[in-house]
Amino acid sequence: MDTLLFGALLAAALFIIFARKRWIAATGFVVCFVAIALLFAHHVTSTLELSF
Amino acid sequence: MSETQIRIFVGDTRVIVPTPTGRRDLLLGKLGFWAQIAFLLAYIGVLSTAMFYFQFALGELPCPLCILQRMGMMLSSLGPLYIVIHSLRGTLAPADFMTGLGFAIVGALLGAAMSIRQILLHIMPGDPGYGTAVLGLHLYTWALVSFVVVLAFAGVLLMFGTEFLAVGPTSPVARYIAWAVVWIFIATIVANLIAVFFLEGFNWFLPDNPTSYELIGWTPTPAAN
Repeated sequence: MDTLLFGALLAAALFIIFARKRWIAATGFVVCFVAIALLFAHHVTSTLELSF
Repeated sequence: MSETQIRIFVGDTRVIVPTPTGRRDLLLGKLGFWAQIAFLLAYIGVLSTAMFYFQFALGELPCPLCILQRMGMMLSSLGPLYIVIHSLRGTLAPADFMTGLGFAIVGALLGAAMSIRQILLHIMPGDPGYGTAVLGLHLYTWALVSFVVVLAFAGVLLMFGTEFLAVGPTSPVARYIAWAVVWIFIATIVANLIAVFFLEGFNWFLPDNPTSYELIGWTPTPAAN
């Protein structure tokens, strides 16, 4: 999954360089953001025993 | 219409773009451009140090949250990349400038959430933390510092509106340097992609505490600190 996400980041960066429309860059960014956030959620496996 | 503004059409929307005709505007625009390049260079440096020094030289394999924070840094860096590319093409409208800074802020917020999670995992007294400390702080704490700096950077630029609307350089040497930074950033993503592929192999997820490169079954020996 991590390898795929670096691939997605690479694709988003290349979209920014080669595609001139803003919505393409924004779509690439949002797709990466959501995918990375989901992977982060997967790795948050427990609540911390801390009191704030 | 003021002499320092031009009007362009983006689709059906008319936008007014301040053109840096004055000496002061041009200076601030160029400063804004090189500030974005400095942003990219800073994260290229951080990501390269994490990978080439801590991972390869010291043999400290990154945990899943460390990898996620690298992704957060790259996600945040897509903002300055967007601004730099449009500046070099001479097509940077104020809306593009805001989009780029928005990318930087949103990416930094996600990265900061990951760093805070890892800091809290190791916050209890007596916990040695994960990996080597640098100047008394672990890498995930430095990562949080970097994300806060990004938020402050973008916030300050937004405070000034379009004063720092980036203006790409006209000198061939300066343009060459700027494009070199862009492609070094791309190379940094590719290097991380390859490194994490060796680390993860064909598994879907990294283990919580990686000890070997799964693709080739090699366990590096951590260097003595």
